[in-house]
Amino acid sequence: MKAEIKRTASRFRHTIGKYRVQRGKQCKSCAGCVVTCPHGVHFKAGTRMGTPRDYLCVGPEVCRSKNCFCVEKCPNSALNVVINPQIKALGDFRWTADLLMSTWYQAETGRLPDVDMEYRTGNSGGGFDKLRFRFPEKPPQVIPAEDIDTSIELNKRGDKSHRITIGIPLYQGGMSFGSVSDSTMVSRARAAMLWDTFGCTGEGGYPEFLYPFDRQMITQVATGLFGVKEETIQRVRIVEFKYAQGAKPGLGGHLLGDKVTERVAKMREAVQGSALFSPFPFHSVYSVEDHKKHVDWIKAINPKVLVSVKVSTPADVDMVAIGSYYAGAHIVHLDGSYGGTGAAPDIAKKNIAMPIEYAIPKVHRFLVEEGVRDKVTLIASGGIRTAHDVLKAIALGADGVVEGTAGMVALECTRCSSCESGRGCPRGIATTDPELAEFITVDWGAQRVYNLYASWRSQIVGVLQQLGMRSIRELVGRTDCLRHLDYN
Amino acid sequence: MRSTSKALSAAEKILASRERMIAQYPPLSGVKVEEEGGCGVTGFACSIPVGGKHIFEPSRQMHNRGNGKGGGIAAVGFVPEALGVSQEILDSHYMLQIALIDPEDQAAAKAVESEFIHPWLDIARSEKIPTVADYRDIPGLDVRPPDVMRYFVRVKKDVLKDFTVKNHFENLKPGRAEDEFMSQNAFKLNTRFYSTLGDKKAFVMSHGKNMMILKIVGYAELVASYYQLEEFKSHIWIAHQRYPTKGRVWHPGGAHPFSGMHEALVHNGDFANYHSVCEYLKQQNFFPLFHTDTEASVLMLDLLNRVHEYPLEYIIEALAPTTEADFDQLPSDKQKIYRAIQAAHIHGSPDGPWFFIIARNDPYQKMFQLIGITDTAMLRPQVFALQDGEVQIGLVCSEKQAIDATLDSLAKEDPRFCPVCDRYWNARGGSHTDGGTFVFTVKPENGVMRLSCSDKFGNVKAISGNQKICDATAPISVPSQEAEITRTLNQLLDQCRAEEMFSYLAENIPIWDYNTFRWVCAEIVRVAAGSDTCKATAIEVLTLLNDRRFFTGDKKRAWVLWIIRGSLREIFGAVPGFDRASGGRYRYIDFKTRNLLRAPEANEEILVVYTREFEPEGEDCDARLLCEAYFLGWKRFIVYGYRGQRFTGNGFGPATQAVRIDVYGSSGDYLASGIDGMAIYVHGNAQDQLGQIMKDGKLAVFGDVGQTFMYGAKGGEVYVMGNAAGRPLINAVGRPRVVINGTALDYLAESFMAGDPHNGGGFVILNGMTLSDDGSLKELPTPYPGSNLFSLASGGAIFARDPHCTLIEDQLNGGEFAEFTDADWNLILPYLKENERLFGISIEKDILCVNGRPRKPSEVYRKVKAVPLTVLNGAPKQPNPVMAADI
Repeated sequence: MKAEIKRTASRFRHTIGKYRVQRGKQCKSCAGCVVTCPHGVHFKAGTRMGTPRDYLCVGPEVCRSKNCFCVEKCPNSALNVVINPQIKALGDFRWTADLLMSTWYQAETGRLPDVDMEYRTGNSGGGFDKLRFRFPEKPPQVIPAEDIDTSIELNKRGDKSHRITIGIPLYQGGMSFGSVSDSTMVSRARAAMLWDTFGCTGEGGYPEFLYPFDRQMITQVATGLFGVKEETIQRVRIVEFKYAQGAKPGLGGHLLGDKVTERVAKMREAVQGSALFSPFPFHSVYSVEDHKKHVDWIKAINPKVLVSVKVSTPADVDMVAIGSYYAGAHIVHLDGSYGGTGAAPDIAKKNIAMPIEYAIPKVHRFLVEEGVRDKVTLIASGGIRTAHDVLKAIALGADGVVEGTAGMVALECTRCSSCESGRGCPRGIATTDPELAEFITVDWGAQRVYNLYASWRSQIVGVLQQLGMRSIRELVGRTDCLRHLDYN
Repeated sequence: MRSTSKALSAAEKILASRERMIAQYPPLSGVKVEEEGGCGVTGFACSIPVGGKHIFEPSRQMHNRGNGKGGGIAAVGFVPEALGVSQEILDSHYMLQIALIDPEDQAAAKAVESEFIHPWLDIARSEKIPTVADYRDIPGLDVRPPDVMRYFVRVKKDVLKDFTVKNHFENLKPGRAEDEFMSQNAFKLNTRFYSTLGDKKAFVMSHGKNMMILKIVGYAELVASYYQLEEFKSHIWIAHQRYPTKGRVWHPGGAHPFSGMHEALVHNGDFANYHSVCEYLKQQNFFPLFHTDTEASVLMLDLLNRVHEYPLEYIIEALAPTTEADFDQLPSDKQKIYRAIQAAHIHGSPDGPWFFIIARNDPYQKMFQLIGITDTAMLRPQVFALQDGEVQIGLVCSEKQAIDATLDSLAKEDPRFCPVCDRYWNARGGSHTDGGTFVFTVKPENGVMRLSCSDKFGNVKAISGNQKICDATAPISVPSQEAEITRTLNQLLDQCRAEEMFSYLAENIPIWDYNTFRWVCAEIVRVAAGSDTCKATAIEVLTLLNDRRFFTGDKKRAWVLWIIRGSLREIFGAVPGFDRASGGRYRYIDFKTRNLLRAPEANEEILVVYTREFEPEGEDCDARLLCEAYFLGWKRFIVYGYRGQRFTGNGFGPATQAVRIDVYGSSGDYLASGIDGMAIYVHGNAQDQLGQIMKDGKLAVFGDVGQTFMYGAKGGEVYVMGNAAGRPLINAVGRPRVVINGTALDYLAESFMAGDPHNGGGFVILNGMTLSDDGSLKELPTPYPGSNLFSLASGGAIFARDPHCTLIEDQLNGGEFAEFTDADWNLILPYLKENERLFGISIEKDILCVNGRPRKPSEVYRKVKAVPLTVLNGAPKQPNPVMAADI
């Protein structure tokens, strides 16, 4: 399948945009505005004017400067442009309205919006939002975009396991069957395949509809061991041990009763309607030699598989990382504290684990000191929202990242935080209700996620060009390319 | 602090004295991160002193529990001549052993002596512990071990007098002041030459009487090689393989064992509350200097033992408190004391997974002890074993194969040792039954050293009877009943009547002497070589003898087993390999010939795999060979010679209904994990993590199973003849159907989610019985002694054989008792029938018989089913979470 960016509009009639374009009764349907506006806000539907596609509007300032402001050009003064009052209720400090809307835009178009929206950082007052790139005044060398390599290696041990390179420095976080709809899972998996990277089954079993994506899937072995079978471990090229989630370390996974429908119960071989808990530890792993045995076990089932160890970020995360490396892991996956969907308890999300921007350099440096940094792939996750977050994580010392929520936003998630409330995801993403799930078709969803990654990749390429780097691998650990707004 | 020195107790005086010492030698302040690591531990105590080489093999077999970056051993109870001292000096003098990290640094060695030895101590003898000339001659040693100076010392009379007066120690029991002086002197030395230096120079390895510790950067057994301890004899040996997570290690300061006063402690696990325990110790003026939880543990032990003079039972209570239903079942006077101990010491009680092995000399009571203590939640693996006889031995290890390796090694040297123990068992942490602790004590009895075993409460674990041991080295002679026996054997063998033959043998074994029995087994082996059918019958008969319990007369069951197992090994070993011609059903393969493996040809059906030389995991492990053989078309396997190799039956993938694996020997962790259809028969005890995520198939274990048995299992039919350790069937879903004839330590079927048993779901039948050595079945005092049964379960059921209704609501934490119906009986009956067929546990005579009277099933079994808990149902309706979040 040849993959390319295709414009993939919102599923909803009224897409949320930054501006609201109002058309008054004075309008004579002269269609002058259709000509004036280069962004396609105005269009004629039959003999009358259609309701403006105001989410495409880039705002008065830009239009004025380019002399294409429809409000001023309308001969009947029938038009008005205001800030959309909806955006005041949209988003939060980490995922601001601007970030949500710009992500939606990128998912629709595969490129950055023309609108004056902040697409790089949120407004959390910390973390990646306080970091900026320090670009040289002039790039040291001019590198054409097509010469820039964004691929990363996932097996750096050089052992007999699979050699795997992914085209972009990110793969997808696990979202279980039962926590999101089938079409959400397939959409994400297909997008991952198109970008030659990996999707992840999560811990809820390996549904048959993901079998076509076997080569590009990671399957999770988590503490509940739901749906984990030898067969599923043998299907894949990467197995991920989920020891903990940064969003809620020490709490285990949970799927509340409402979401345990007949199908989910069948996949996990549990009881319909009863909440499912994954214990917070692996009951067979209470120390590092148990951990090694655990890794050996997976390799006994599938000798060529790559083993990723997903851990949260406690204070001694560096010891955990080195222990995982010596236990035979190929990938150490640090899950920091910013991530987590609406199903993770707020008190845990905000208080337990170490922020990822502290954990990455701590682990990176420790692995360098121990002399094994080039033998292990370090992956970061937990609040990677934008292409700039990806780049910052890598500059801090990661090889690549895992993306979770951003892909949901590409499917028009509004971050309403109702994920845990059973089947009722208002946008049909985190639902197991078959009717709600019909909101999303796979073609639409896959293309949206594909588009988002395309936009991210071009931003990554752009930043590397500015830094004069030919490969994303050159950026790993280059903290000198970053500055912190509070400490410079 | 109390007002006057007169009112101070001995403990308070010691603590006050230490406070002054700390002021004089302040340890570095500031929080140090604990150096983490996992490990493997092993130890044994013996009524006779034995050489260090016997700790060599068990240590080597636990390499996969360490990473060669820290190993250590400790020994207690020596032969004075080997140390060049008299018995009197060995008993009365401290054996001070100081590690000089850089042997080239003569100045440091001199400084240590001039500051901490010559001014204070009288030396009866000193020497540098002999080593091999060059550490590089020992493969695997990459870092030069420290030179260790050994001094037999007493504190100088006038020094001790000063020390006593200054600290008001006049009324301390004899010897206690001198102990404290030695303890403080070691602390000062370590502070001065180890912990406050950037460049570490020297530290005290141990300083107890008649005991020592040696440790290196490398695997533990290399300690014995480097310091030439192979023939050095001692009553107690313990060893520790360390798995430090930090990469570069250049000195063994952080390796185990750690020493308190007269004890050495090794530890497997990791405290969650390391800092809190350290803080607790510091408040009592015990300052850890080596940044490991193991040192903190031994300091805690020293504090409770030597300073507070607690009896061992109270020390154990302070470390692993008795909780929940177990606490409720203690006698009320004990509850009172335990409550006080917990109130005083809970902050210093290590939380999280840990298992201690302690070797100690008690010079005041003149005895040596080996102690194993598990944490309350039993999160680390542990096996105890005991052998009685002319020579006695008690063992405690992380994995059973270390016990086998020790006994193998001893039996080779001294035929009085049997390679099989009389008893193997697990301790139940923080329990009212055994307190999670067993103590092997070696002390003189009528002039000879004898070993005894008791639990936390002092209940003696005895081996019944005065059965004879077998001299396995004696030649076998033809018994007088030869003609009759041969006739019967030949007849039964020819007609493949294995069951009858087993009955015949079981009836006669009590009458026969060892020689006759050995001769019979040799005959069976000889006949087995004749044809494949004879071989099959012989294997079946010997396997039945191995699996079933029967009366052995004046012979020890352990020796009978050893003879049976030896015969099986002979039969297996005689099977032709791929390099020999054969037209038969059996083919043999081992590590050396593994590359000859090919698809089965002609009549070939059964692959006999000798696993001894295989790696325990990885590319060269026997589990991989089994997979390769299966992919080539082999379906039937006999696998023997195990020494703890892991993952048997793993990796075969889905739909393996035609496969059968028979496992002999000390099989390893994760056996039968994930199997989907195949049958595995484990002819002996099995280890940890058995049947994890098992999907379908059959597993029969003719013995006990270890920790987290069937974790996350989805199905399968499983029969366990004995007990399960901690956390069996946790998080199991689907339709696992399990019979456990013994009991479980605790946490059985936590978060069980196995649907409706009457509608395809799963269940556990818990019979709560034990097989005695004579083959009869006895009820345990309760089918389930633990405090947590079926906690948070949402599906499935437990059918517990509990005719005396000993189970109580308090144990359930989420389940509830339900009526045991006829439908329930019909559901479990087929499994009990198979259970009867496998283990000879009769439904009529054993299960449904209480105090000799037949009972109805509903009078014998009780059902525990899941209750719908509100916490497990849907999300509580809350105000709009958007509003609640992100304020």
